[in-house]
Order: sequence, then C-alpha cells, then structure tokens
Amino acid sequence: MKYLREPLIQFVVAAALVFGLHTAWQAWQDKSDSTIFVSEPELERLAALYASEAGALPGPEDMTTMVSDYVRDEALAREARRLGLDQNDTIITRRLAQKMSFMVSDLREDPVPSEDTLREWYQAHADRFTEPARLTFSQIFFSPSVRGDAAEKDAETLLAELNNNPTMETAALGDPFMLQRQYGDVPVRELARQFGVEFAAAMAGLPASDDWQGPVRSALGLHLVHITHKTPAALRPFEEVRAEVKRDWVEQKRREANEQAIADIIARYNVEIEGVE
Amino acid sequence: MKSYLGLAVSAIALAACNSPAPETSETVTEMAAVETPDTAPADGHTAGYNPDRNAYFGDLHIHTRSSFDAYIFNVRRTADDAYRFARGETIKHPAGFDMTIAGGPLDFYTVTDHAEYLGILPAMDTPGTELSELPRAKDMFSRDPDKITAAFQGVGASVRSGVPIEDMYDKSVINSVWLQNVDAANRHYVPGEFTTFAAYEFTSVTTNREDGTFGGGNLHRNVFFKGDAPDRAFSTLDSTNPEDLWDWMDEKRSEGYESIAIPHNSNVSDGQMFRLETYNGDPLDAAYADQRMRNEPLVEVTQVKGTSETHPSLSPNDEWADFEIYDKLLGVYDVSKTEGSYVREAYRNGLKLQEEKGFDPFHFGLVAASDSHVAGGAYSEEDYWSKIGLVDGSPVARGSVPFPGTTSWDNQPENNVVKNGREWFSRWSASGLTGVWAEENTREAIFDAFRRKETFATTGPRMKVRFFGGYDYTGDMLSAANLTRQAYDGGVPMGGDLVGTGQAPSFIAWAQRDPNMGALQRVQIVKVTSDGEAVYDVACHTGTPDPTTHRCPDNGAAVDMSTCTPTGEGASELKTLWQDPDFDANTRATYYVRVLENPSCRWSTWEALRNGTPPRPDVPETIQERAYTSPIWYIPAE
Repeated sequence: MKYLREPLIQFVVAAALVFGLHTAWQAWQDKSDSTIFVSEPELERLAALYASEAGALPGPEDMTTMVSDYVRDEALAREARRLGLDQNDTIITRRLAQKMSFMVSDLREDPVPSEDTLREWYQAHADRFTEPARLTFSQIFFSPSVRGDAAEKDAETLLAELNNNPTMETAALGDPFMLQRQYGDVPVRELARQFGVEFAAAMAGLPASDDWQGPVRSALGLHLVHITHKTPAALRPFEEVRAEVKRDWVEQKRREANEQAIADIIARYNVEIEGVE
Repeated sequence: MKSYLGLAVSAIALAACNSPAPETSETVTEMAAVETPDTAPADGHTAGYNPDRNAYFGDLHIHTRSSFDAYIFNVRRTADDAYRFARGETIKHPAGFDMTIAGGPLDFYTVTDHAEYLGILPAMDTPGTELSELPRAKDMFSRDPDKITAAFQGVGASVRSGVPIEDMYDKSVINSVWLQNVDAANRHYVPGEFTTFAAYEFTSVTTNREDGTFGGGNLHRNVFFKGDAPDRAFSTLDSTNPEDLWDWMDEKRSEGYESIAIPHNSNVSDGQMFRLETYNGDPLDAAYADQRMRNEPLVEVTQVKGTSETHPSLSPNDEWADFEIYDKLLGVYDVSKTEGSYVREAYRNGLKLQEEKGFDPFHFGLVAASDSHVAGGAYSEEDYWSKIGLVDGSPVARGSVPFPGTTSWDNQPENNVVKNGREWFSRWSASGLTGVWAEENTREAIFDAFRRKETFATTGPRMKVRFFGGYDYTGDMLSAANLTRQAYDGGVPMGGDLVGTGQAPSFIAWAQRDPNMGALQRVQIVKVTSDGEAVYDVACHTGTPDPTTHRCPDNGAAVDMSTCTPTGEGASELKTLWQDPDFDANTRATYYVRVLENPSCRWSTWEALRNGTPPRPDVPETIQERAYTSPIWYIPAE
C-alpha cells in the first residue's frame, strides 16, 4: 500500500473524505430545511382564525384550502429568507419589532390591584375623577361698542339699583347680546369657549349670591352677573368611579410592564452607533 | 390532518382572544359594545335649547387612515381618533408630534373618508389578507419611491376615470369599512353636546379639457346622512357624474335616508363646478336646477386648499378679493380656469339664469371646513400642520422656511420639496369652520339648519354672525333686548328668500368676535345682481362708512412683525341696520355678509418667526381672518 504514501493520493483521499462529509451534512440539512411540518397547534390556530372570521368552524374543504395556503406561504417565506430578502428591509424589521412588542404585552397577565392600591391611585389622580365646576347664572351685558367708556359706569349704576330693588324686572336691561341671558348648570370650560378665558376665570372665583355682582369683564364687554347656584368642582366618590379607577390603573401597569419588558430586551444588546461618540 | 373537528372547544376559546391587526383592534372591541344612541332625546329638548337659536361650530370634512390618499401620507389615525380630537383630546400627527384643537372642543364634526377604495389601502398593508398579496400592494408598500408613486398614481387614475382596478375593488372590505365609519359616527354622537353624521366624500375629477389636454378639475363633494345611513356609499367607481350621485341620493331619500351633498374646492375645479352646462355638456334646465338644489343646498367656500369666494380678476373692485387664492389643479402645477370656479360669480350666473330662463341652480348657502387628512383640523395660524401628513408635515415641506442649508429666499435649490412648497403648500391656509344657527346641538336641529341654509363660514376663528332681512325693521330694534326674536318674527334669517313688497328692505348685520381670537375691523355686505356686484362696508370699528365710497376709515390696526403681536384696537361686536343705497325693487339681488378681523400673522409668518428666517416673500405676511354668511335673496314681487 505504498502508493497511499504518495502525496497526491493522500490529497485525493482527503478531498474525497471532506467532500463526502460535506455532502452528508448538506443532505441532512436539506432534509430538515425542506420539511414543512404542519403541527397540531398550527391547525388549531388556523381553525380558530377561520372561526373568528366566519363565525363557524371550518369544514374539511376549508381546512384543506387553509393548509395548502399555509404550506405555500411557509415555502415562499423560507425561499425568501434563503435568498436573503429579509435582510436590510425596514418594513420587515419594523413588522417583526411590532409583532414582538405585541407578544410582549400579551405575555403578562394583568395584575390584580388591592383595594388600597386603587384608593391611592384615586387620590393621586384626583383630577381625572373630578366633575368640573358648574354655574347657574343670569347676566346683563354692557357693550363698549355701544356705550364706549361709559359702559363701566352704567353697569355700576345699574348694579346699585338692582341690589336695592331685588324685584326689578331684568329681561330688557343692558344691551342686546348674541349669547344667552341665562345659563343653567354650565361647566366653566364652556364659559371659556363662549365668553373667553378671562371671564371664565373671574366667574370661577365668584360665589353664588342673592345679590347681583360685577361688572365682570369678558372679551365681548362687561357683564353684571347673578349667580344663583354654583356646584364646585367635586371629586366623585370612590365607590362611584371604582371601575374607572381600576381600568385606569390596569392600563397604566400594562403600559409600564410593556415598557419594562422592551427595556429588558434592549438591555441584552450592546448598542453601538457608528459615528456617534 | 387528524380530527381537527375535535378541536372545537379550543378553537372557540382561541377565537375569543384572537388578536387582530394592531390598528384595528380598538375599532373591533369598541364595535362589540356599540349601542346606537337615541337620535331624538326622549323628553323633548336637550340642555341649551334656545328657540332663538344658538351658534354651533364644527368641521364637516375630515379624512382618516381609511382614505386611500391619507394612508399613503402615513396617516394611521381612525375615525374614533378623529372624534376624540374634536372633543379636545390630543392625538398624534403622522410625523410624530401632538395635535390639539385650537379654541377648545367643537360642537360637531364629521369624518368624510373617500368612498373610492375606502379602507382598501390599510387592508393591502396588512399581511395575511388577500389584498396584501396583490402585485400593486407589494409595489405600494415597497421602499422604491418610483414603484410607490406608480402604484399610488394608478389608484388615483382609477378614482378619476371611474374604471375600477378589478383585483383591488373588494366591495366587501369597502362596505364593511363604510359601516365601521357609520358606527363610529353613531358611537360619538351625544345629543345636546356633540353631533356627528354618517358621511363620506365622492371624489369626482374631470379627466380631460375640451381641447383634449389633461384636466384635473375638482368636482369633489361630501355626502351627509341626517340619521340612518344606507349600507353602501355611491362612489366614482359607480359613476363619475355628480348628477348620477344626485339620482342615487334621491332614490335613497325615497327609502328614508335623507341626505345632502356639499361640493368643495370649486377654486380648483377648472371652471367645472359652476359651469353653465351639465356634466355631459347639455344645456341646464329647470329639472337640473331643482335636483341640484334639492341635493346640494350648501357649498364649502373656504378650506386648507384655498378660498372660493371670488378671484381678483372676477372682482377687480373688491380690495379684499385677493385672499388665500389657490388655483393649482389637484396634484399638478397647471392653473385652474377661473370662470366657473368661484361662488360669487355663480350667484351672479344663477340670477342671470333665473331672469332669462326661470331657474337658479346656484341658490346655495355657505359652509367651511378643513379637509384635514390627518384626522384633526389645523384652524389656528399660530399652530398649523397643514393637512396631508408626512408630505406637508414640516415648515420646510410647506415652504414657509428656506430649504435646509440656506437662510435666505434668494437662491433656493430647485428640487421637488422646494417646488411643491412654492407651487402648492405655501399657498394653503389654516382654514376653516362652519357655524350654524340651530335650536340645539342635535342631528335633527343642525341638519335642519343645513336645509334652511342658516349657516356661515369662517376661515378658522369662531366669530358669530347674524344676518336678517325684513321690511319693518327699525333702528330701535338694535338696542332691544329681544332683538333676535323681533328679527325672526319680522323677516328672514341668512339662507332665506325675501319676497318683494314694493318697499326697500332693511338688513340687520351683527357680528361678535371669537372671544379667544382677534378683534373685528368691519362688517360688509356683498350685493350680487345678474349684471354686477358691489361691496358695502356697513359697520366699522372706527367711525362710520363714507356714504360715497362705502368704506370704513382706517382703524389703524396692524401687526408688530417682530413678534406677530397685533397692535391697535378692534371691536368685540359690530351691529347695524342697513338699507341698500342702490336698491331697485324690480331687480333680483343676492346679499351676503362678510366680516373682517383686524390683521394678524399668516401661518407661514409664524413659522418663519420661530425659525429665525425671513417670511416667504411671495405670500402675504399678514391676513384678515373672515366670515361669510349664506345669502338672503331678494325676489321682486310678481
């Protein structure tokens, strides 16, 4: 067997061995890569998807169609990956990221808050559960366009008369006004929209009273006001808003958990950005 | 495949928690809990009911992700997001910044997505759908700008020609997204507080000019249903002829679906919107006028893509006619034909037709809207985001600041951004809103006001305007506490016909500023007859109108251009009783009110100021915000 010692022969044999091993490896790999296995959970998922859209379970023909679609998609997707089509594609990267972030938020069970936790949340976010202040009032308008500088003095004169004579008929007093003379239970925010911010703030600071008050200045002119009823801004009772508080809290926890999970994933990577110190 | 039927239980369990595509999940879960609101309050009236009518403000023209163009502009906000925006919540612009409505919540708001391919683009962009497998979908959502543009323009061409792209024209998707929009409108309707309507846009565009060259005349109109809506929307894929839309609306009305259509952007209709022929070139007749007015009692006179009141070349004697003129045909740089494109000229032609042939197809009232494609309208000059998403989502894209790398307007590079900024977006406006006079904030009361044409249009501010005409009005009424009641009882409000008695009528014009915006400078009455027009100043902040020139003295209001702060005074309200000095009892005349604010910085100037660069030289630095009422038509006694 001396020719086995010949360098050329040695090379040929070694090459044949390497080639043989490679072929065997390739064949094994091809086999695993060339099998599309439709698992039972996958079949369940397809059936569920069908049921959710059609409102009924799929029949045998529907199932055949779905499975062949699935096989087709899977084969094409693998082929696309083999050709490197998934590389460097912003849309695919974004989709995968989106899918992952939805998975992350689906992974966790919603936490169950204790009664104390909910009460604390309710106190800490009282503004979210507060009914805005509301006013019931009449007003008499004095137009600077009509009266010029006399508007303020005219208003003050009438104010004194009104408060000396509480039974005085007011419907025809003052100047014609495009908005209403009476407002019932109107939120302060609505006053800001109709009369301007300055008037709304001033009205929020005035008490309900048997007397006429003012003149209060708005973007439109001057107003004598008779505030008959004022419902201050009020925190709604906890019992009444318990469900809202819980929904709010769960939503917040879910968001936090989601952010945390994503941050954990990011923390597993070393982020290097070329060109940024 | 073994015994999959045995999976029944787990399949149903899975179905219950099946998670749909992200953007639609909200809609789906909310739809499950839909309760159709009571359209009429059970016990009479809602809070705020006023027999003398209140002014309510709203936007009747809003697009969301379901519109084919909005989706390409990267808009992902839904109809639900749009209604939340109108009620004061903050939502995201496609470019990532926050949008909050200027001036507080609106009283009514309407999503009007394009009916053509409604919801199809989102479906094409959702993996797993059949639509996403189409070659056009692959191109549309590729990263190749040429392919995207070609795919998108193909859709535009189909909307224009009315020839459907068969594989994209999935009627079941379109109809189901239409019903989702109807549901969203119903869900957000709160009688007495916030009104919505089921609505959509019919997107007709003329294709060719008479000489065979490219046209692009905008014949778009929005269709609104008073209450219940039919189960599909008639689109240009049914017919591109608006008269066929009216036939469909008539047919639906006979089935109980009351509706109106409101055309918009006549300014870029290439002379087609108020053309004196039918769509197919036949002469107009009484039946055409009847059908048009039955279906289109209102016209949108101002919006982001310009103002359609009049054009300087049509109204050379109106010093305020050159206001936010935009005349580029849709998506191209060609200039729209002026004649046939503006409202005031249409009023004149309507009277001419009435006198010569006995019918008037242009007897319409006025409204305004934004046409925002990002779910939320930009009504404030100071906080403006234009309307087509990523395409005009930054000051550079809008051409209000010089191209990056430059600081002056002298040597701008010539590229598409600069060109589109110059030709299109810098000429767009922060406009507009509709005001209606209605007894209460319900669908019925507001829709009835549309029918009465008791509406006015503003370029963004919420100024309130009353306009009445009658024969027995007196100066005393102006200081009477029940002025409004007396005016209604003794005459007609805006939108009405005033039939002659031989006497000269009097008009009451009354404007109140938006308490959170600029003060008023003057109130004008525009008079149109079959052979002319005139603009009268009727109430001034300073002094009284000159009896010869009919002009107010200068009130000295201006703007400090280094800060955009208004200087000088203005009026909080203006009110007058007016008689036409040139009145002729035997001549038909159309009168409408125009209210002008003091000058304020245009949006482009605000953006330049914030950027520290000079304002763009080829657009005005300041504007005068304004309101237009629906007309009162004087009709001589027989």
